[in-house]
Amino acid sequence: MPQAPQYPTQGATVFIDLERREVQRGYTPLQVVRSLLAGRGANMFYLHRLLDESLSPLHPDIPLIFGSGVLTGIVPSAARGNATSWSPESGVLMDCNAGDYFPSFIRMNGIDHVILYGRAASWTLLHVKNGEIAFRDATPYVGLDNIDMRARVPGDFGGTWARDLAMVNITRAGENQVLTSAIMGGPKACYARGGPGAKMGSLKVKAIVVQGQTRDFETAQPYKGYNRTIAQKLLDTSVVKHALKTMGTPFLYRPSRMLGAMGTKNNQLTTWTDKLDAEHITPYRSGMTGCFRCPVNCRPLNDMKVTADRYGAGDGPEYVTLGKFGPNVGIDRIESVIRLNNICNDLGFDTASTGSAIAWAMELYQRGIINKTHTQGLDLTWGNAEAIEQLLFLMAGREGFGNAVADGTRAVEKGHYPAEALKYRMAVKGLMQSDPHDARILKAFALGLAVATRGMDHLRNRVTLEINARINDDPAFKERLYGGPVSAAPNSYQDKARAVRVCENTYAVGDSVGMCRFTTKLFNSPSLPGLEEFANQVANVTGLQFQESELSDVGHNIMGVERLINGRLGVTRADDTLPDRWFDEPITVGQYAGEKIDRAEFDRMLSQFYEISGLDGNGQPAGAWRTRLAATLDNGQ
Amino acid sequence: MIKVVLPATLRVGASDTLEFEGSLASIAELIDALDVRIPGFKDQLDDSVFNFAVNDEMLLHRARERRLADGDTVEIIPTISGG
Repeated sequence: MPQAPQYPTQGATVFIDLERREVQRGYTPLQVVRSLLAGRGANMFYLHRLLDESLSPLHPDIPLIFGSGVLTGIVPSAARGNATSWSPESGVLMDCNAGDYFPSFIRMNGIDHVILYGRAASWTLLHVKNGEIAFRDATPYVGLDNIDMRARVPGDFGGTWARDLAMVNITRAGENQVLTSAIMGGPKACYARGGPGAKMGSLKVKAIVVQGQTRDFETAQPYKGYNRTIAQKLLDTSVVKHALKTMGTPFLYRPSRMLGAMGTKNNQLTTWTDKLDAEHITPYRSGMTGCFRCPVNCRPLNDMKVTADRYGAGDGPEYVTLGKFGPNVGIDRIESVIRLNNICNDLGFDTASTGSAIAWAMELYQRGIINKTHTQGLDLTWGNAEAIEQLLFLMAGREGFGNAVADGTRAVEKGHYPAEALKYRMAVKGLMQSDPHDARILKAFALGLAVATRGMDHLRNRVTLEINARINDDPAFKERLYGGPVSAAPNSYQDKARAVRVCENTYAVGDSVGMCRFTTKLFNSPSLPGLEEFANQVANVTGLQFQESELSDVGHNIMGVERLINGRLGVTRADDTLPDRWFDEPITVGQYAGEKIDRAEFDRMLSQFYEISGLDGNGQPAGAWRTRLAATLDNGQ
Repeated sequence: MIKVVLPATLRVGASDTLEFEGSLASIAELIDALDVRIPGFKDQLDDSVFNFAVNDEMLLHRARERRLADGDTVEIIPTISGG
């Protein structure tokens, strides 16, 4: 690997051997950056090179890779980074994205990627300051969940959160290798999906603490003027003004339930009470906060003025948590949802996977597939918030029935549930659905969930604008957005593959420059910064020139490498599918009552997606594109 | 009369509802009428954050063609994705 930066602002890749307590450094080769950028993209390069698929996900020689984007910490709303590995939950690619302050502050230390491998002899905390990495004894922190951990660290290391101190850490759930555990990156922000907390716990790393003053980067060209252009574009966008800055993502609950697309009781139903509409959170919303240098501040804080314990106030909930701990588990009290949200943030849970795993257990309980003998007395009746609260604490400690739910999608494989339970598991590629939206109506959403490389997840490729009539009713505008015609009807299969392809490319680039998904073009608005703005600012910051179309190709390459990784892990076309429930059971409410996914139509849509994406019959990169990817991956040339 | 329910960020004064007397045959005509009552409303629509729902039925396409009748309630709903 190169031993010097390949472009202005490039940070080092640090390889940290936890067993030997050794650190080596290098820099991502330029050709890799040209093909995959940094952040999520370069993470895939490293995982592809270091993955030994003959091992298992929690083996210490399977690395855990953190990576910040090319523009992370430099551009407004670009505060994100990814954590990548082989998922211990899904068994396929694990790739998680988070913001808050860690991804930016690690770059302030001259580091773009951190690659952890080997198992530490004892619990270890990595301390990063002035670009140097020190191994610290983490014994005093073992057993601490997120609130206590974040209370302890500033006193021990000095510094102030969000000013000169940032951290990623696991909780007891991660220490106990709970497969739905997250790596926390803030009070709520976390690297979620696929069990990253378990992976970090398996390496015996409790936390990475980063210190250092924020600083300006020495860029290839002046960039602050264009930063102001980007910031203004963000703030002028209607979705930011009218939704993200005011209430945050819970806004979406109301349209989803009105549409009849709100995953309810493990997707047996698709609508739920108006008592969870965002306006009912308003009395408890004590403010809004945000990530490093983001002008949007979309994260709602909550305070229920309950002082009985520490869970009366906190950070969130986001729409995902509202859905997963509201309708999907049958809860109709907003106070219960907020409390469970605050508990999850403390216990370090991925609320998507955790809420889904609990909903799955509750449906099994409803159907008598499991009973109180299995649950050790817990009454998993829908809406029983007290039982869910107990279950969360049991999960964190892998105690009692919590040990079963802690194995997430793998609960059958681990012997906790009978095989019949798999029929009701709402997962793709071994990962529970990320978002609460039931996608039997919106076929582009459904395809996206089926082909997402990390499993059933909306943040990889969601054609969100499919739910907007203004765009659906303007075919010429829609054609410009997606590079070709896409049916206006949300429940049509026609050409939805094209839209998913364009979104997947754009979002992969967004992750690799470090931009937040909420403020990336196509996800929430056609007016937000997209490939054009990314190309301009990448040129200003790094001196690397990309045409807009070349950046789209980079996004395509990232998806391609992810599919190569998944191919090595046994993923085939048969895995690009959806839960049987969506094929077999029509929804029963609303104007789209009767909608489900038609298997033949879905298969045709998937084939079109493969063709547009340059994939072979098994979903693997084909032809000359594959050869080019292989050259990049093998040689960094 | 057609009742229009506005999101907080589009409210005119303290009220979250507007009422339109007379004949508004479609959502398209309602948008024109709203642009008079809320200056710049059409421009806001161009950023595509707002959907219309008529009597709790979300309109995902052919929204402007949707016929309206006396007594309908139209709600304007900011629509975003989640995370």
